[in-house]
Amino acid sequence: MSHKPDDDYDYLFKVVLIGDSGVGKSNLLSRFTRNEFSLESKSTIGVEFATRSIQVDGKTIKAQIWDTAGQERYRAITSAYYRGAVGALLVYDITKSVTFENVERWLKELRDHADSNIVIMLVGNKSDLKHLRDVQTEVAQAFCEREGLSFIETSALESTNVEKAFQQILTEIYHIVSKKVLDSEDNRPKIGEGRDVIVIDNAHDDGGKKKGGCCS
Amino acid sequence: MTGANEDKGKVAKLQTLLRTTSSRLSGRLGLPTRKQSEDGPDLPIARVSEEGMPGRGDGAAEDAVAAGPGVTGLGGAAGGGAAGAAGGTAGGAFDGNGSLGAGGLTREQLAAAVAAAAAGGGGGGGLMHQAPIPEHRVRKFHKLLQEPVVDLDALRELSWSGVPLTLRPQVWRLLSGYLPPAKSRQAHTLARRRREYADMVPEYYDIPHEERSEDEVAAYRQVAVDVPRTAPNVPFFHEPIIQESLQRLLYIWGIRHPASGYVQGMNDLVTPFLAVFLAEHLPGPMEGWGAAALNESVMLEVEADCYWCLCKLIEGIQDHYTYAQPGIQRAVFRIKELVRRCEAEVSDHLDSENVDFIQFALRWVNCLLVRELPFCLALRLWDTYLAEGTGFSEFLIYLSAAFLLSWRDRLTRLEFQDLILFLQRLPTADWSEPQLERVLSEAFILRSSYGDAQSHLRQG
Repeated sequence: MSHKPDDDYDYLFKVVLIGDSGVGKSNLLSRFTRNEFSLESKSTIGVEFATRSIQVDGKTIKAQIWDTAGQERYRAITSAYYRGAVGALLVYDITKSVTFENVERWLKELRDHADSNIVIMLVGNKSDLKHLRDVQTEVAQAFCEREGLSFIETSALESTNVEKAFQQILTEIYHIVSKKVLDSEDNRPKIGEGRDVIVIDNAHDDGGKKKGGCCS
Repeated sequence: MTGANEDKGKVAKLQTLLRTTSSRLSGRLGLPTRKQSEDGPDLPIARVSEEGMPGRGDGAAEDAVAAGPGVTGLGGAAGGGAAGAAGGTAGGAFDGNGSLGAGGLTREQLAAAVAAAAAGGGGGGGLMHQAPIPEHRVRKFHKLLQEPVVDLDALRELSWSGVPLTLRPQVWRLLSGYLPPAKSRQAHTLARRRREYADMVPEYYDIPHEERSEDEVAAYRQVAVDVPRTAPNVPFFHEPIIQESLQRLLYIWGIRHPASGYVQGMNDLVTPFLAVFLAEHLPGPMEGWGAAALNESVMLEVEADCYWCLCKLIEGIQDHYTYAQPGIQRAVFRIKELVRRCEAEVSDHLDSENVDFIQFALRWVNCLLVRELPFCLALRLWDTYLAEGTGFSEFLIYLSAAFLLSWRDRLTRLEFQDLILFLQRLPTADWSEPQLERVLSEAFILRSSYGDAQSHLRQG
């Protein structure tokens, strides 16, 4: 996969990967950013970080992705990384229903710590383990419709839908942000009208050329 | 520490110094010489010295410090003056050590011990590889361990700079406080502790899931998720008998320590104990071990030893793992402060790039740097931690700062993204003892220089 130079992008979006331990967050990240997968990757302690740029509507979108530890004990520290995030991939393991049941708790985490307009995509990972499936696609889909979330099933191992998942959430964020910019040019919203304001962390306030360090 | 001990300490440090020097000159020992890696530590020691060590002007001291570990060491806050004195007597101390009593050990025994240490992994980066430890040091270990009551202070002094592979099981049990120093009580204590652990297994572990509370089931699952991901680069740990053992001991540890419970990364902290205690039962380098040589009762003993040593290790750092991990947050804050004080250029740069220490140092402190180093060096690191005893978490602050600063030149050239990527995967894969010894000695110097000045930060 080709990557544009790091300092050459139009938009910088901060995205977090959250969900229970062992659902495959780190492998989704490594598959997307380095095209790597490891069956034996170590558990994530705290947070880990990677980036990749993609093209959306002719614009270069740089995703700055923070992968977080799944264990509850780390949440006090990892929730600090939700600040300034415009997207969240909430991952569960389709072979372990308990990781799907915990999705509610993760949504609450986001409500408590992230911007209210954060774009959330539910990701059912390990779709290659068909014979072990414990969460039916329709159930997850229905849940997402109720909650207003995007939904996709992926396999980081087989590289199925990983690209699509990230592409989709980044596109969604981009459309909201670019619409926001258009709206604000047409009809500048007053400060405090905040419900639709997407935090993009100054990513394009200087015309889209910004170096790293946007995260809080 | 008494004056006499201080002298003994200086001698011990000098031995370390000389050992490091000799491993640098490893050609003489018939070892492959290894070039300092490009990514290796590039600490300009003089800079640290200028700020913290008034005695630096003494040429002997400068040479001594530049050559390796902690010559200033035992002088503690006395710093530079001690360094000067110690540096000046280096040669004499060495001669003196050479003629120290062999403690009743035959030359053959010694040669065997030294050879066994060297055989740890085939001389070039085996999982438990250890560079040969000079005979006089091995002899001192044997002498100490033969006393009816082991002098723990002396053993700590000696162990700080590395414990011979074959003696690690016994020395680690002693240093962690698991085994009493009085020889006459050791067998009894060991048997009792192992029995106690064996009794916990049916009580906490061998019960149906339905009888576990919701929290216990969650804890069981968390451990089960992490055990297969423990030390993926150490194949032997993935034998079913070992996996089961890890699952049991980590789960039981968590249930018996409800203030924190099992926290991800604790599995990493067991691995040095596991390797060392297994080595008592499995001959040869780890790469050749076979699980068939382990029966369940032997495994249960190893597991019990690991359990108790893990208890002792974590005893003093429980607040690293309780809600919101206050101990870790405090440690990371202190590492940052320390770096700011001794190398403002580095901390200013990290600041200006918006890199927060918690982004990389959380894992360092949480896993006591095990994750950042090759496995054989984690074992070496454990020698020092256990020698430090209850104060090891304090030492970890200085060690983390020294570790970070060993890449100072690289760090100041990188921007946010590359900084984070670099710091979360430091290029230590080809590190061997000399690089780690150097960081340990830098940490020692930092503590000597900043230990007292930092006392205001130690509160709360």
